Amino acid sequence: MDPSTSPPDASDEPVPIGQRLFDNMYLLLVLGVVVMLVVFTAWGMWEIMSLPQATLP
Amino acid sequence: MTAATVEGTGAPGWRTCPVTARRIDARAERLIRVNAVAAVVALLIGAVAALLLALTRWQVVHLLPAEWYYRILGVHGMNMLIFFIIFFEMAVLWFAGTVLLNARPAAPRYAWFNFGMMLIGALMVEAMQWSGKADVLYTSYPPLKAHPLFYLGIILFAVGALSVVGQFFATLTIARRERTYTGSMPLVVYGAMTAAIIAVITLLHGAMVYIPTFLWSVGLIDSVNPQMYRLLWWALGHSAQQINVAAMVAIWYMLGALTVGAVVLNEKVSRWAFVLYILFISMASAHHLLVDPGFGPAWKIVNTSYFMYMAVLASMIHGFTVPAGIELGMRLRGFTKGLFGWLRKAPWGDPGFSSLVLSVVVFGFFGGITGVTIGTEQINIIAHNTLRIPGHFHATVVSGTAVAFMGATYYLLPLIFRRKVSFWGLAKIQPYMFAGGLLLLEFGMTFAGSFGVPRRHWDISFTQAAHDVPFSPVVDLFMAMVGIGGIIAATGAFAFILIAVTSVFFGERVTEFPRGKAIAGIPQGLTNPPVHAANADAVNAELHAPARGWAGPTPGTLVLVAVFFLAFMLYYFTNWKLLSFLWKIG
Repeated sequence: MDPSTSPPDASDEPVPIGQRLFDNMYLLLVLGVVVMLVVFTAWGMWEIMSLPQATLP
Repeated sequence: MTAATVEGTGAPGWRTCPVTARRIDARAERLIRVNAVAAVVALLIGAVAALLLALTRWQVVHLLPAEWYYRILGVHGMNMLIFFIIFFEMAVLWFAGTVLLNARPAAPRYAWFNFGMMLIGALMVEAMQWSGKADVLYTSYPPLKAHPLFYLGIILFAVGALSVVGQFFATLTIARRERTYTGSMPLVVYGAMTAAIIAVITLLHGAMVYIPTFLWSVGLIDSVNPQMYRLLWWALGHSAQQINVAAMVAIWYMLGALTVGAVVLNEKVSRWAFVLYILFISMASAHHLLVDPGFGPAWKIVNTSYFMYMAVLASMIHGFTVPAGIELGMRLRGFTKGLFGWLRKAPWGDPGFSSLVLSVVVFGFFGGITGVTIGTEQINIIAHNTLRIPGHFHATVVSGTAVAFMGATYYLLPLIFRRKVSFWGLAKIQPYMFAGGLLLLEFGMTFAGSFGVPRRHWDISFTQAAHDVPFSPVVDLFMAMVGIGGIIAATGAFAFILIAVTSVFFGERVTEFPRGKAIAGIPQGLTNPPVHAANADAVNAELHAPARGWAGPTPGTLVLVAVFFLAFMLYYFTNWKLLSFLWKIG
């Protein structure tokens, strides 16, 4: 199938749940942002902020 | 022979593409053009800077004085990694959102405002960098401080780009509501959507890091936490290159279809791979922080290994499905002889196809293998801040993304700009010249880095220094490879710019695409669109017959994948061995 064209539309058949999830770009957008913000950003910030104060000589 | 006119019979403000039969909105077409032109101008500035840098790091030449070396390094980074790539990606988003979906652009006037904001932002950054008021390199780590207009320029550029991404989502929503397509969106558009989502992640972090830094530069806040800056900045700096990866893969699928009639082996698998990018690729940013003391091993390993390997899996899926799709497409066209008959008969003189293959191979073999290896926490300690790092990312961002973008341009010139590709003979060899020079440069950087040569360093001979840091004499050879490779690659980039600019402004206008006839200046995929053989169904059934066993319908690609894994294992375990020399146990 040409990747620049849509897959065949089987409008008479129910769309599988997985396909509906993959077609929901706003859901993917939210998931992408949340995963990054939690696993990388928030956890990383917490690591920095919970560092003990260095004792100067 | 049929001849279709370029000026089609679409509704007012639309034209119908005679090759793809898609309706093209004139407003979207203008936006694609202007973003592509801005990208090429940034590429020109970045390529001039690249040549100066290569001739400085080549110790025999050592062209620039120290101050200008670091200034030009910053100019090179911003133009190549931000302005060239993101302007081109904006063109890709408008192309994918409108042309591929037969859709109208959302709020096209607002798009011009956004383009203007990006342009003004880029010009502000250029002015600050060239005038020496922003000698802070691409990363601009505090406490290095640039002129406030430098940060403001980046913020304007990022806000403009983020707004265009929003318009892309709106365009996709309009297309679905107006039913310009049915079913799921095409895979190429899905790839562009993936790039857009990663762009949102990237630009949000850009705002989180640059707004406080701007306030610091104007004196409204006292300081910026350098460790916090590094965390947030790399979520921008590295993720920006993941936008490229998604856009590049989308272009791989498009070029495969246009040049040789490649098919998608499995829509579900390819889409899964894009979703894995959305969820996991951005956290690869943690690679840059593996030697930072502020983060614990759990954070480092989860971000760079467990989760990030999901994105590596996605890249390997695309790295298999794209060549396998090309192989199957070629076999269905009748090129069924032997293991690699489909490869021998491929249109190697088509710059769109050669760019596609060079991009896939160098990105996968060089960029992918080196990236996963040096992104391993333990191995990173022998690679961090050496020339191995730019050796890796030139293989991904330049040999991968830039080469793919150049290949796409050879098709966009006749399709969107409606001009023949000028200097057609030069265009046929340009991808080989550019990619060949880059490969030499990347090998030179990687090997020199393996001997401890630092990145971002003006003079590794430490002239006039009180101390001496001797490198192995073989390093001189590797640095010469960097210099010579840089000259060849820059020549390839200048050739591309010459071709693109001449074609756009002075090129012969394309009035028709006669079928079945080779025409200088028009890639073969447009005059001779790949079609399956009359017996394609029988060939397909035969290729998928259970009797073929493990080889399946794409045995040639399986052999190439085996070679890839062998190279991967060899490089990975060699690096563990190298690490053991430094890190003796027992």
